[in-house]
Amino acid sequence: MTSKFRTTRRRVLQGAVAVGAITSAPSMFSIAHAQQQSLKIGLSMPQTGGLAAGGRASQLGLEIWRDDINAKGGLLGRKVELVIYDDKSSAAESPAIYAKLLDVDKVDLIFAPYGTVQTAPILPLAKQRGMVLIGNFAFQVNAKVGHDMWFNIAPWGPADSWASAFLDLGQKAGGKTLAVLASDQEFSQNVAKAAKDVAAKRGIQVVFEQNYPPTTVEFAGIIRSLKAAKPDMVYVTSYPPDSAGILRAVNEIGVGDNVKIFGGGMVGVQFSAVMENLGSLLNGVTNFNSWLPEPSMFFDGTKEFFEKYSKRAIEAKVDPLGYYLAPFGYAQGQLIEQAVNAAKSVDQKAIAKHLRENELKTIVGPITFAADGERKESATLMAQYRGVTDKNLDQFRTVGKQVILLPERLKSGELVTPFEALRK
Amino acid sequence: MRGNDVAFAFGAMLFVAAAALTTFLVGNEYPFFAGYVILQYIVLAVAWTILGGYAGYVNFGASAFFGVGVYTSVFLAKAFGAPLLVQIAVAAAVGGFLGFAVGLLTLRMKGIFFSIATIAVTIIIDTFIVNWKYVGGAAGIQVVRPPTMAPFESYVKMLFVVQAILVVIAVATARYIQNSRIGRGLQALRDDELAAECSGVPTLKLKLLACVISGALMAAAGAPSPMYLQYAIPVAAFDLNYSVSALAMSLIGGTSHWLGPVLGAVLLGVTQQWLTVNISSAANVLLLGVMLVVFVVAAPRGIIGLFVRKKSEKTP
Repeated sequence: MTSKFRTTRRRVLQGAVAVGAITSAPSMFSIAHAQQQSLKIGLSMPQTGGLAAGGRASQLGLEIWRDDINAKGGLLGRKVELVIYDDKSSAAESPAIYAKLLDVDKVDLIFAPYGTVQTAPILPLAKQRGMVLIGNFAFQVNAKVGHDMWFNIAPWGPADSWASAFLDLGQKAGGKTLAVLASDQEFSQNVAKAAKDVAAKRGIQVVFEQNYPPTTVEFAGIIRSLKAAKPDMVYVTSYPPDSAGILRAVNEIGVGDNVKIFGGGMVGVQFSAVMENLGSLLNGVTNFNSWLPEPSMFFDGTKEFFEKYSKRAIEAKVDPLGYYLAPFGYAQGQLIEQAVNAAKSVDQKAIAKHLRENELKTIVGPITFAADGERKESATLMAQYRGVTDKNLDQFRTVGKQVILLPERLKSGELVTPFEALRK
Repeated sequence: MRGNDVAFAFGAMLFVAAAALTTFLVGNEYPFFAGYVILQYIVLAVAWTILGGYAGYVNFGASAFFGVGVYTSVFLAKAFGAPLLVQIAVAAAVGGFLGFAVGLLTLRMKGIFFSIATIAVTIIIDTFIVNWKYVGGAAGIQVVRPPTMAPFESYVKMLFVVQAILVVIAVATARYIQNSRIGRGLQALRDDELAAECSGVPTLKLKLLACVISGALMAAAGAPSPMYLQYAIPVAAFDLNYSVSALAMSLIGGTSHWLGPVLGAVLLGVTQQWLTVNISSAANVLLLGVMLVVFVVAAPRGIIGLFVRKKSEKTP
């Protein structure tokens, strides 16, 4: 075997130089990172891959908070520094990243990335290390792990709350039967399951149920058979590409006059690019959302945040509206700001205690946490698109394009039925 | 045993011992998190080379076998609370069986047709798992680790050593095949299958064997993954990235020698981990792509090809 190799002195030297270069490079980077005085917050963020668009908007929200807090003199008199790595939207990447954050970068606090799949593997790690983990729109990841220092900024609340909200609206409008259309994806399946459970509890008959692979592009067949089942309520849990495909098929074929409410769990129709692209096809759809520019949604600092965001979003080339994720990125920082100031240290237990026991003021409204680390009260909005025209992004900045139907305390209008009425 | 074998056995033992020793000497867990991923890629790349390199059958289905390993573990852990070693052993057996079945169905196809068939296998198995609710379906499943076993102080360190042992098993298998009648037979059929068959090489039998071994090792590489991530989800388990990486690592390292995929996996794996935590943007994906292109152009026979003398250059 050795006879096959020609080892010369030059080769060995070349190899040694290469190895030296590789091993010394990381230490140069860590010197650059090391700033003794700063308070470090570590996280991964999907900057590439399927969740990148959302990840970048969320990150910008958090960065705006960082700049605001540093302008005020930092936290505990220390400058706040964000250490962010790209998790490529993949669950396989996040464990090593968080191990690096905790063991090498020695960050003081950790935040979760935007996305359930990357959050699931790091939650047990945070539990094991006794670290507070501020969640970012992950859905029901803590149910099995039971980490008592998990605090999810997402407005979801209890697992079945948004299916309940959707069905409340539908039943109030006289709906008795339900159709469920769901993508074969982690998030969509979880949401669809909650809806079916709630329906079973309330004795709502499920007359149509269809899962489809995430790669589906043509929905005409599915929408035709859905229409034939004559449901009163249609609960759709889909991802961005299929949300568009479904709405196009609905536009062509229709779903029938007995459908009172349509939507529920469609992901994607909260993002500027999709909203602009779909335009009038959105009319009538009642869907979940997290933040909308209705008067009831403005709290202390919200307006100022969006003024900064809309300027910086152009430079950063991210979602120009940024309603869905960005304010929550900022609010994540606000949670930590209040807890660290109250604890007067970065002691994880003290921070967790403050978060657990107090109402926290944020730009997305006051937040209190339940024992499982989700919101005590759901703040997930059910909103109906109305009067949307084609090819106009700025219309979504105005009041009344997405009318909030639930929750009661944030409401700005009533459900208009049937679904098709708003589409004519 | 020849001198070479002794040296190899010694080297292998040294490698495992060093891996085990570092888990006690290094308190920082990050190297083991990152190291685990790199070792996992070594197993995948070496396993890929057995069929893809020696026999020349380009397999795009590495992620199928990897995912089968992942989900065998998930199933065993959920249904029986099986320990890790059982998970790996059963995963290898299932992977081997799958290799046999896939081989029987596809190995009569050649070249690009075989490769396409292997992609189809990934999609079929992925779809099956997505619709199998017991193991979590599309929503994924969270897996709770059993308590850490002595003498290891953390589960990840134990997984690191387990993966190091898998590396030794994979490399030893590949090395044995390369130096045995099987390897020579595979090489013969890679160069010219018809001529090999005519010369009495049992081509189908050898290809099947390579498929079984390769599949078993890939599934074994995936088996500890649910315990590493404490989570399993089809999009991650059947990620086409595993197929592409296994292939790229083998090609970059060189497919003619067992050392090739090892070098390729170490180089690419380390670079990937390093880029992830140092250049945090789309640039890291780009850099990796550029690296692949550079290697394909500058070293078509891989790193090994740069060192190993061409046969024609050998003195008669």
